[in-house]
Amino acid sequence: MKEVLEGLSLKQRFKLSRFISGEKATIKSIKLNHRRVFILPTIRGLGFVCLIVLLLLIAFVYNNNLAYLLAFLLASIFFITILHSFKTLAGLIIKQSHSPSVFAGEAVGFEIVVDNPSNIERFNLKATLDLAVDFYLNAQEKKRIVLYSTSHKRGWHNMETVTLSSTYPFGLFRAWSPLKFVAKALVYPKPNTLEIPFPDNDDTQVKGFQNQQSKKGNEDYYGIKEYQQGDSIRHIHWKAFAKGIGLFSKEYSNDKSSELWLNYDQTPGYNKEEKLSQISRWIIDAEKAGLQYGVSLVGIKIQPNQGSRHYKKCMEALALF
Amino acid sequence: MELSINQKVLVFLLLSIGLITLPHINHIPLAVFVAFNSLLVWRFICIWKVNLLPNKWLLFILMIGAISLLYQQHHTFLGRDAGTSLFVIALGLKLLEINQTRDIYLVNYLAFIVATSQFLYQQSILMAAYILFVTCVLLATLVLINSQKPATLAALKTAVIIVFQALPLSIVLFVLFPRVEAPRWMLFNQQNSARTGLSDSLEPGAISQLGLSDELVFRAKFNAELPSQNKLYWRGPVYSYTDGKRWTEGKVSKKNAVVSKVDYKGYKYQYTLMMEPQDKEWVFALDMPSSFPKALKQNSQYQIITTEKNNQRAEYKFTSYTQYNTGELSDKAYKENVQLPVEPSAKLKKLVTTLNGFDQSAEGFIQNVLMHFKTENFHYTLRPPLMGDKPIETFLLESRYGFCSHYATAFVYLMRIAGIPARVIGGYQGGEINQVGGFLEIRQANAHAWAEVWLKNKGWTRFDPTAAIAPERIEQDVNIDLQIATGIINFSPMFSNSGKALSWMKQARQMWSNIDYSWQRWVINYSTENQTKFLSSLGIHNIKSIVYWLMGSIGGISLVLAWIILKNKTTKLAEEVRLYQMFCKKMAKVGLDKEVAETAQNYCHRIQLQRPDLSEQVAKITMIYTRLHYEKEPLDKDIKLLKTELAGFKVNINPE
Repeated sequence: MKEVLEGLSLKQRFKLSRFISGEKATIKSIKLNHRRVFILPTIRGLGFVCLIVLLLLIAFVYNNNLAYLLAFLLASIFFITILHSFKTLAGLIIKQSHSPSVFAGEAVGFEIVVDNPSNIERFNLKATLDLAVDFYLNAQEKKRIVLYSTSHKRGWHNMETVTLSSTYPFGLFRAWSPLKFVAKALVYPKPNTLEIPFPDNDDTQVKGFQNQQSKKGNEDYYGIKEYQQGDSIRHIHWKAFAKGIGLFSKEYSNDKSSELWLNYDQTPGYNKEEKLSQISRWIIDAEKAGLQYGVSLVGIKIQPNQGSRHYKKCMEALALF
Repeated sequence: MELSINQKVLVFLLLSIGLITLPHINHIPLAVFVAFNSLLVWRFICIWKVNLLPNKWLLFILMIGAISLLYQQHHTFLGRDAGTSLFVIALGLKLLEINQTRDIYLVNYLAFIVATSQFLYQQSILMAAYILFVTCVLLATLVLINSQKPATLAALKTAVIIVFQALPLSIVLFVLFPRVEAPRWMLFNQQNSARTGLSDSLEPGAISQLGLSDELVFRAKFNAELPSQNKLYWRGPVYSYTDGKRWTEGKVSKKNAVVSKVDYKGYKYQYTLMMEPQDKEWVFALDMPSSFPKALKQNSQYQIITTEKNNQRAEYKFTSYTQYNTGELSDKAYKENVQLPVEPSAKLKKLVTTLNGFDQSAEGFIQNVLMHFKTENFHYTLRPPLMGDKPIETFLLESRYGFCSHYATAFVYLMRIAGIPARVIGGYQGGEINQVGGFLEIRQANAHAWAEVWLKNKGWTRFDPTAAIAPERIEQDVNIDLQIATGIINFSPMFSNSGKALSWMKQARQMWSNIDYSWQRWVINYSTENQTKFLSSLGIHNIKSIVYWLMGSIGGISLVLAWIILKNKTTKLAEEVRLYQMFCKKMAKVGLDKEVAETAQNYCHRIQLQRPDLSEQVAKITMIYTRLHYEKEPLDKDIKLLKTELAGFKVNINPE
């Protein structure tokens, strides 16, 4: 907290980027204060100013004191709305939360937590990343907000500046605060949409692989073992679970023998991205089918295995390759 | 971007617009008012039946229709009345075209303009309060649009709070904002509706209509002593020319503004007059004014005339005397004041003769005439019978029922027959004293007519023939309430029953009247002149110091407001929560922040895993905290325990 609030140099203070993209990115929570919140009138606010000028003109031409009074009242309301705008954002504490991985082309959901530690309600909050999310906070309420940002390329996808804004109470002013967090999500290569069969593994790379039978191989029921994290959901002994005995996985005889190697060099595709895209497709299919699969990229080798943890490991390797 | 606008917002908006335009029923042509309300009702129905909304073409036709209606009604689009109608109709048409939030804003702004136009017609406190309320409602619609939780009452509350927070600032602006009077060319001609009041001609019976009006004409506040009721003659137009039926102001003397020297005697009354808007240029000063503001003039008949536009309230300071001698009468004036339209009839001459009009001094004749009114069967009534072609003869010799104007005109007529210069004076007599504000209120019902006779060595002298027939009219105040209610003249004594005997209704009326007086004086009438006067009493003399004062007070008020609005209103945290937060802070210093959704227990485990050296202490703190926070009846000694535990809790950056 302390470091975030430390003084800015004069030069930093007047840097234009501070108003748009925010201050240096941080992983810590940000408390909104006078330094973080900016306020400017909206188009409607400028319209309101025109209204006040018109009323003053009427008051002037007709020399009407009550018209003057109404114009002054509206002007004062306009003025103190600035304070109320500030109040809508001030004191909120924003923290970034986790951000799950996605495939390229999908929207990354960055999660932030907005905490309202005060006793006043915060109406009409709007958090904007690529798209805007409207929400409100009751007194002493915390809300998790997921902000989506479209990913185009595999690899790390950094969270851009999040803008938290509000036009409460009258829409005459917009208070906003650009927030920059050190948050990134891993984007996996987009899986190829073409149905290409799993590669035939040659002997040098694969211990043993039964081509056609392997797909049915997991039907050779072999026994039951206690469920371990990472076991395929398809293999869970649901009947036993329903009886309340506990969580067990079915084991299949050829689970260990049928291993699929996904080799980068042997993957069809004109360039690196196409190849990775194909491998990504295969990994999904293999995981679905409950196969033991391994990935071999240039310089990276992941031994055959299965389960969500393994799946994640393979995908990460692809994303960052 | 098409937005579906919340129904609740629409209902609220339409209701507030209905409220705003409602008082205009008296101001704009009925056709325009009806047209607007049809549009409003149409829009109201469309809240639930969206397909009834007009399309572009129909809207265009409606607009053409509205413009022609406006032109047909006003023949112009400028000026107060046409402008008001224009904005009202524009508001109605815009209502049918609300597609986006932007349109709601436009409607809202138009509504504010219409609200302002109300002030061009009426500036009472009630209207101001009404518009203040409507302002709150309009702003509440904006709050509704700008919050995700459309709660009408909460929005209204927010709007009211903000409006009240804005009031001090607007009052400062009101007081300090330099008032410059608009140049003449910018002022639109205001067609004022005819006001009741004294007119420049007098027909017997004319004043009796005023007797039923409680409309305020002016107020008078005396610096010191109030004159007694029978001295309260507020002099107005002087009717010296007659055609036998109608009395009008003299033609010659009107142009002549040279006043012959007046010899003042007796008590000097100093007072402030506050005139309500008038059609005429007359200002009703008490009897014989000796000094008055420069903006006013005195004509040769000692009547006070204003040269300013008088469709606004105005305040004047006067000094008057009730005893004076106007000196000699010029030949011209003499001729003017003995003028008769025709040779008086034999009957009238006979009456004058029997009253010794031709062979006695003027004073003697006057006494005889007054005596005649008193002793013969004359009656004082608000509803005199019609007098026909020869009103004076009919009144004097036949009907003998009359109001003050009958007596005054008949009296003057008799004087002139006898060759004594005399004239009829119009004005007001008396006034109700406002016990709360200590000022007199003179209403139309106080309208009166009396006579002035020129006497040698005395000059123009006032005689009130009404006093002879109905002395209570002069000695007491007119009881306007009762008079209006019954249509019969009623009087209430002025000073005798002051204080306790006042009915509560009268007291309330006076209280209100006093508030209204201050309102008129300090708000409505706060002109360039008054501002300069008021500000210089504060020591602000030039525009530069006004600007300093403005900046200073705006700054000061903003600071106070900022403090009120932004002060942290967090309720006092429970002691144990405060202490626990201290603990969390200590942990945060070494990089172990408490996660948002983490329970105290989980947090404790996480710390224990990462900092086994603190394990024991952390567990203890967490345990005491949980016990304090979640148990129904926490023990006081636990708080102490937590305190001592925390005091001894020190975290080093590196584990030991």
